[in-house]
Parts: sequence; C-alpha cells; structure tokens
Amino acid sequence: MKEKLDILLLDDEAIVGNRLKPVLEKVGCDVELFEDPKKALNRIREKKFDIVITDIMMPDVNGIQILEEAREKSDITKVIIITGYATVAMAREAMDKGAFDMIAKPFTPDDLRSVIAKAADSLGYKKL
Amino acid sequence: MTNPLESKSSFIRNSKKPALDTEERDLLARPRFSLRLHMLLVFILFSFLSMAIIIGSVIAINRIQKKLNFVQSSERYLFDIAQARRWEKNYFLYDTNLEDAVQSAGNAKSLLSQSLEKVITVLSAEETATVLKHLDQYIGLLQELTMLEKNNIKNADKKSEIETSLRQHGAEMVKVAAALVTKEQNSINAMLHLIQRIPIYCLAFALLLTFFASRFLSHRLIKPLNLLIESTQRIAKGDFSPVPPLCKYRGEFSAVEMAINQMCNELKSREVAMVESHKLRAIGTLTAGVAHELNNPLNNIMLTAHAMLEDHNDLSEDELLEMINDLINEADRSRSIVRNLLDFARESESVSEPLDLEALVSETIKLTLNQAKVSGAKIETQIQPDLPRIRGDKQQLKQVFLNLILNALDAVEKNGIVKINVKKADSPGFLAVQVEDNGCGIPAHILPNIFDPFFTTKGPGKGTGLGLSVSHGIITMHGGQISIETEKGKYTKFTVTLPFRTVPAVFNKT
Repeated sequence: MKEKLDILLLDDEAIVGNRLKPVLEKVGCDVELFEDPKKALNRIREKKFDIVITDIMMPDVNGIQILEEAREKSDITKVIIITGYATVAMAREAMDKGAFDMIAKPFTPDDLRSVIAKAADSLGYKKL
Repeated sequence: MTNPLESKSSFIRNSKKPALDTEERDLLARPRFSLRLHMLLVFILFSFLSMAIIIGSVIAINRIQKKLNFVQSSERYLFDIAQARRWEKNYFLYDTNLEDAVQSAGNAKSLLSQSLEKVITVLSAEETATVLKHLDQYIGLLQELTMLEKNNIKNADKKSEIETSLRQHGAEMVKVAAALVTKEQNSINAMLHLIQRIPIYCLAFALLLTFFASRFLSHRLIKPLNLLIESTQRIAKGDFSPVPPLCKYRGEFSAVEMAINQMCNELKSREVAMVESHKLRAIGTLTAGVAHELNNPLNNIMLTAHAMLEDHNDLSEDELLEMINDLINEADRSRSIVRNLLDFARESESVSEPLDLEALVSETIKLTLNQAKVSGAKIETQIQPDLPRIRGDKQQLKQVFLNLILNALDAVEKNGIVKINVKKADSPGFLAVQVEDNGCGIPAHILPNIFDPFFTTKGPGKGTGLGLSVSHGIITMHGGQISIETEKGKYTKFTVTLPFRTVPAVFNKT
C-alpha cells in the first residue's frame, strides 16, 4: 500500500484549490489541482485517484459527470462532492451514483479534513 | 412588519387620489347640459313651430272671414247705390220712384256708417270723407227734389241743374264703391295666395329644422359614443390613462366619463399591485440562485481566513498579502451580488429615465446566471454596440427581461442554450431585445392565452401565471410590443420592441 493518498481537487474557484492544497498536503496527501473540469476529466481517465474532490456547479462539465467518470475508472475511488447549492434531489442523485460524501459551501478546512479522514479510513489508511 | 405589497399599493392609491379629485372637479366645473335637456329643447322647438303654424292659420282664416263679410257689405252698399241710381233714372224719365231712391240712398248711408271704420282702413281717410260727402250731397239733392215735388214747384231749370249734380255724385259714388269691392277682393286673393304658400314654407322650415336638430343630437350622441368606444378599446389594451373629455357639458356622458376614469385608476393600482406581487415572486425564484452565488465567495473567505489562522506563523509576507487581497476581493464580490439583487428588489416609485439597454440587459443576465447554472443551461449574449438610449422604468424593464430569461431557463433541458440578442428593431425608431431558447416550445392551442393573467402551465406552487401578463402590461406602458415565435419541441423566441425616441405611453395621450 502507498504512503500517500492521491487526491484530485477540482473547483472552478481558484481560491478553493489554493487554500485547500496546503491543508491536504499537511496531512500527507498528494494533491493535483484543477480549475478546468475538462482537463480534470482527462486526468481522471488517465489515472486512478484515491479521492476525487469536486465542485458540482461548473461550466460545461457537471460535478455528477466527474463522479460518474471517476467511479467508472475505479470503483474504490472515493468521490467527495462540494456544493454551494445543496438540494435533496442533488444529494440523492450524487449518493445514488456512488458519491462518498457531500460538503456544503461554505465549509472549514476541518470539515474537509474529517471527511478525508473518513474516506482514508474506509480505504484502509489509518495514519490520518 | 406590514406587508410591503399592501403598503406600496395603498401608498400609490393615496398619491393618485388628488389627481382623481382634480379630474372630477374639472368635470363638475363644466356647464350642466344633459341629454334630457337636449331632447327637451328640440321637442320644445318643434312644439313652438307647430303652435305658431296653427295660430297663424287661425288668425289668417279669421281675417279672411272678416274681409269676406266686409266685401259682402260693400257689395250690398254698391247694390243700394245702384238701386238708388236706378230709381233716380226712373224719376227723371217717368217721374216715379223718387221716394224709393231716397230710401235706397238712406240704406246705403246707414250701411256705410255701420262699417265706416273698416272703410277708412281700406280706403284712405280723405277718400272716405269724399265718399261720405258725395253720398250726403246725393241724399241732399234727392231731398231737395222731394221738397220741390211736394210743393209742386215746376222749375225745369232747377230740376235739370239738380239732375246734372245728381248724376255726377252718383257716378262718383258707384266708382268708389266698385273700387272698394275690387280692392278688398284683391286683398282677399292675396291673402288666400299667402295661406296657400304657408304650408310649403312651413314644410321647408320643418325639414331644415329636423336636419339641424338631428345633426345636433347625433353630434351630441354619436361623437361621445365613438370616443367612448375608442377609449374602452385602448383601456382593454392596457393603457389606463384617463379618457379624453367626451363633451363640453356636464350630463349623462360626463357621468360615464367619471365612472370610466375611476375604473382606470382602480385598474392602474391593481396593475401596480400585480406587477409588485409578480416581482416578489421573481425575487423568491432568484433568492435560491443568489444564495448559491453568495456561498462561493463566502466559502473562499472562510477557507482563506482559516488558512491564515492555521498557518500565520509559517506564511511569507507575500502569501499573507495575497490572502488579504483575496479576502477583500471576495467580500467585494459578495457585496455586488447582494447589491444587484437589492437593486432589483428595492421598492421605488415608477420613474421614467433614460436607460442604456445594454447595461440593463447585462445586469439582468447577471441576476440569472446562477439560475442558468442550476438548470445547466448556457446563456449566450449578443449585443449590438452603440445603441441609442431608451426611456423607461429601469426596475420594470428588468422585471420583464428577467421574466423572459427565467421562462427560457425553465423551458430548456440540461445543456440547453438561451440566446439573448439586443439590436435595432426592423421598424425604425425601435430597439429589440430577443430571448430565444431551444427548449420545448409552446403548443399552438395555448398561444392565444399566454398573456392572460393567471394563465400558467407550470404545476401548482411553481408559477403565478402573472409573468407574461405583467410583462405585456409593462411593455405596453412603455409604448412597445412583445411578440412570440415558437415551434413545438424546437424553440421559442420572445421579441420585445421598445421605442427609443418617443416618451412612454404613460405620459402620452395616445
């Protein structure tokens, strides 16, 4: 088993990535940062990530599509959805399609960290 | 807290009240001249005319009767004179009938003195005097002859002298009496002639009077009615400005006018209330989107602040500065999102001001961007540069475009496209804003109803059915038009045209 968790972080808001990357690196993760959902989609097709963190409302490509692609590539990949517009219907759809968890904006780095820890736990990493 | 809608509409009603009062006072200040009075006047005129005809004929017939009587007495007088002359002739030829002659002359004299006054009016006073003189002298001469006869004086010279005078006076008398009769007969003929003509004149006059009376009445009836029809048609189209004065006077029509103006004011305040309630609804729809939009900068602020809190000891000066700038920018972004919504939601009096359609449409699109994100649709904007300014109410026009765009976003599926096109319209003097979606289209059978108030195809609790009705009202008030082009399952295109030179309809009479 690897030392570090491979994480893909996708949000069209640049600040989200800039702030979260150090937070995640601090807890021992390899973070690849994307703002453009299309590039992220290509990267997901190339590489199996342990965790994919994605915003849901983005131009051109939807967070749900990212979820579907990631789950198709590898069903052990945990997909965490970030959303600023949380509706029951959207949560249900995401969960039905195999999302690991949902985080509603605005959230704190600790909120994310605890979800990551849960995901790591379910992936078999005990370190976090 | 009071209901903002209620307080707004009551405020408007209060502010409109004095205007209504001045209009009413204006109407009441007009001279009172009701239709009843019009009719009565015409009726009285006709009554007077017929009465005048009747009285005139009675008088004329009466006068003719009198004249006939007079002619009769004149003829009798003439007959008596002639008789006296016949007896006088007999006397000179056969020496008989002298007393009969005196009697006949006396009869003539009494007849003459009976109708002396009338004679004076027909003949002149001098002529009458001459007639009397001749008659008196004639009688005097006859009496003289009688005296001679009684005293058996045979004086041939004297007799022949009297005979000459008698003949002279006699002839004179007959001449005058005949003239009298002829003159009177002529006058009767003239009068009969006149009486024959009077009905013709009266008929002509009555026809003329009928013509003018009917024109007068139709002018007073038809003109206001036509104006009324025009006004109601205009009101039906949504222009609630007061009706123009129907007639100069106060009467039945001014009462109708007052009632219609009152109705217009009521409709106007109802329309304002409707626009307002629809706006509240639109704000409700927007709020969800705006909340989402607001969550992004809030999230950025939160993450940045937490990053600063956790790592402030390890951060370099530059990193710290970058984060602070991010905080400021994101706070600014939040502010403008809230401001944009408030700008639309704020209650304000309807004002007409010069507007830049490009900026107005852009601001409206910004309001709907999140809605577009939610429905997964794309908004494509195409705005012709350097468009002239229009005049209108900013909030109301924003409401119209917002409504059209939200409708379009509702109609499209995921990955749908809403095209917004601002350009010069085909008709000169107008700008056009087109909102086109590639959604489900509108079925033909409901097309005639889409602008009706409370007509909706959305489920209960989803649409008020006021959007298009209110939009139509607002655009009509701005002197523009709203039209629709659609094909089921392919597209729907709404086109709003607005005049860019003329003032809005609210301030215009037509």
